[in-house]
Amino acid sequence: VSALTRPWNNLTLVGKVVLPLLLLVVVVGPIATVLLAVYVGPWVVNVLADNIGIVRFVVAITAVLLFSIPAAFIIIYMELKVIAYMNTRVGPNRVGPGGSLHSVVAGLKVLLKEDFTPTSADAIVFTWAPVFVFLTAVMTFLVLPFGPPEYNAATGQYERGGIVGQDLNIGILYLFAVGGMTVVGLLIAGWSSFNKYSLLGGLRSAAQVVSYEIPLTLSVVGLILLTGTMSLQSIAVDQGGGFWNWYVFRQPLGALIFFIAATAEANRTPFDLTEADSEIVAGFATEYSGMRFGFLFFAEYVNVFIISGLLVTFFFGAWNAPVPFPVIDVSLDPGSLGIALLLLILILPAVFTVLFALPFWLTNSKMPGWQALILGFLAFNVVAVGAVFGLAYVGFAWFAGIVWFMIKCFLFVYLFVWMRGTLPRVRIDHLMGFAWKWLLPAALLNLFVTAIAIVVLKTPPPG
Amino acid sequence: MAAHAPIGKIQSEDDPRVLLDEQIGSFEPIPPYPPRTERESEFYTLGDGEMFLNMGPQHPSTHGVLRVVLKISGEQVVDLDPVLGYLHRGVEKLCENSDYHHIISQVDPLEYVSSLFNEWAPVMAFEKLLDVEVPRRAEYIRVLTSELLRIASHALFQGWMALDLGGLTPILYSFIERDEICEMLAAVTGQRMLFNYFRIGGVNGDVNHEFMSRLGDWMSRATKQHETSIGLLNENEIFVRRMRDIGRLDRDLALRMAVTGPNLRAAGVPYDLRRAHPYSVFPELEFDIPVRGTGPEGGDALDRYLLRLEEVKQSLRIIDQCLHNMPDGPVMAKLPRLLRPRPGRAWAAVEAPRGLYGTYAISDGTDQPFRMKIHDPSFVHLQLVGQLMRGNLIADTMAVMASLDPIMGGVDK
Repeated sequence: VSALTRPWNNLTLVGKVVLPLLLLVVVVGPIATVLLAVYVGPWVVNVLADNIGIVRFVVAITAVLLFSIPAAFIIIYMELKVIAYMNTRVGPNRVGPGGSLHSVVAGLKVLLKEDFTPTSADAIVFTWAPVFVFLTAVMTFLVLPFGPPEYNAATGQYERGGIVGQDLNIGILYLFAVGGMTVVGLLIAGWSSFNKYSLLGGLRSAAQVVSYEIPLTLSVVGLILLTGTMSLQSIAVDQGGGFWNWYVFRQPLGALIFFIAATAEANRTPFDLTEADSEIVAGFATEYSGMRFGFLFFAEYVNVFIISGLLVTFFFGAWNAPVPFPVIDVSLDPGSLGIALLLLILILPAVFTVLFALPFWLTNSKMPGWQALILGFLAFNVVAVGAVFGLAYVGFAWFAGIVWFMIKCFLFVYLFVWMRGTLPRVRIDHLMGFAWKWLLPAALLNLFVTAIAIVVLKTPPPG
Repeated sequence: MAAHAPIGKIQSEDDPRVLLDEQIGSFEPIPPYPPRTERESEFYTLGDGEMFLNMGPQHPSTHGVLRVVLKISGEQVVDLDPVLGYLHRGVEKLCENSDYHHIISQVDPLEYVSSLFNEWAPVMAFEKLLDVEVPRRAEYIRVLTSELLRIASHALFQGWMALDLGGLTPILYSFIERDEICEMLAAVTGQRMLFNYFRIGGVNGDVNHEFMSRLGDWMSRATKQHETSIGLLNENEIFVRRMRDIGRLDRDLALRMAVTGPNLRAAGVPYDLRRAHPYSVFPELEFDIPVRGTGPEGGDALDRYLLRLEEVKQSLRIIDQCLHNMPDGPVMAKLPRLLRPRPGRAWAAVEAPRGLYGTYAISDGTDQPFRMKIHDPSFVHLQLVGQLMRGNLIADTMAVMASLDPIMGGVDK
């Protein structure tokens, strides 16, 4: 009795309340879970299945919100590291392997900093502006196709949907509508800060984004004429079957205009006038601190990913592999192996660990056996993960699609980072002159040439 | 009376805990006093649609703690007013209270990217006061080290120029170049930045093996390295278009405003102190004086930038000749430890990377100068800012200022 009473007496009052509750939760929790799963589960599943549209939408929104943060983290890390190597610096190398967790810690730091509002700022607008900027950036993810839809072998057509938030049939319209809203966020951020640098930054972004919106939109109209659809997933499907089908070869001028205008839309170097640090300190973000600044910062990098994603989707084959991979049918059902599956799971790791350990042990006489076994185990893990990914790539079209989409996207992100490391900033009058005197006529020319070519060559638009 | 009786009666808008005598508005006109001159009252009167933009003293690209009050109309700069004095340390007064040897370390941090020139001018002035004959080897070493530093300074100028136009990378390559030279000079002087190397009557210590081996190694690739670092910027269309036709400085304005150095030569006047008033061993050395902007409209920011790059090549030529012609011998003249020059006055000037850097010293026969005036080129060039920038855009303000290359350490003294 004393063995139990002594610890009990050592507990504080709070502990005496919490501990029984904890025990209760540990005992009751699993039981309740099982009961819920058995009795309420089917009902919940039925309700969800009946409202699959809403479920799909909520899942898509959540996934998009969750995806934007690691994407931004990766791009921030990439920018730090790549520009560091271009500058012959080392870059972040303290947190995580190779400094890879640097941006995570920077994000935590931003969360912990003081959330400061200047005295004379318009507090409500000042608070909501970053949310606005961030949300408009993230909402664009909703129509980006990350992976292919299901292939219907009977009709030889792709189904609608796929790894995409919502496969809107007016996807491109939605895209430009939401993308154009970003400027409102930047403008109100600059206006409400009560700072002249912010004001200049906000107005600069308004002038810049509005000017470049026009060539950006016009550069895609030629593409719409070609495909006859505004759904991004359909555009992606149209480009299947090898890199020679990518629209960059049929719309080279359009792709170039889109690239330049999208760079300006995302306020990236050499068009980063809105936050020109050598002129107007940090532009619209000058007065922001803490997580509000974090939102503005995130939005910028989310935008980088989005313009890369759009470039890839419109002109570089979306999720299609450059050369189509021969389809291998791996319809092996692991369940059919029965008890053998269990044996394989038990035996294979051990056998392969020893097999992979042997070369280390044989070639290095000074290495003790246990070290060789550890190395063998690591090698086995690498091979196993590789094999799983290989099988997934071969077996699931959506997996291969995501892999190719991400590879292409990050190649373009690298291009944007490279540009930032190389180019100086343009001046505001050069910027506007370039948009109105060069890009707009070029986009119109591209549109006319495309339209005339479609009429002359008598290729009716598909769909 | 209570110990902490509140002085004011009105609660401040900014901080409710503060009590004020009278309410201070959120934006008082700058400056918060009645205008003192006509120019001030003209400048601080806003026209229709104009506003003030206070740039600095804590601004990323004003080259130190310069404060520029811009009067802008949209993106266009209508007028501007540089405000100095944020880095004033009273160096001239400090010098008048230090003995002649001590002054060398006082003037070191003035134009801190090219400190050897800061030392050279006063040292030369004191040598004139004292009638000292400097050994030829010491003169050669002075020319050699200072020309190295001129290259370092111009390399840094190039990087800053790019950074002010938004290019992130060139500044780091500039610093690599400057770092090699600083390491080299550290081997012979013991310091990387504020060298304290020149002495009245010579230099502090002969060149050593480490310096020579580093220098030889660097000279073998300096020209190629220079060409490489030029290539990144000079062929960049954005960079060239932003520098062209801004901040035009013509011959008349340049002469009227007493501009010297590369800024004057880029306005079409081939005036180089090393040739115009030869000092040290420069008459024995062969080098050209690059001139740009000889046309009637003078030179723009791009001319000033390119001229500095050409000067680097000439400096390399001078270094090469110094290494070949350097005589043997002592590096210090024989002088008493306590210097008491005869009463009199002396002026000495050198061609610093930014222009004429001069010292005017008056001796009253004691071991401290009675008066020491330092003429700094950056201070003179900063007066041009108001002349060159009117009607330009805000972005050009940075470009023009960077092309004039002021160093605030020298401006405020």
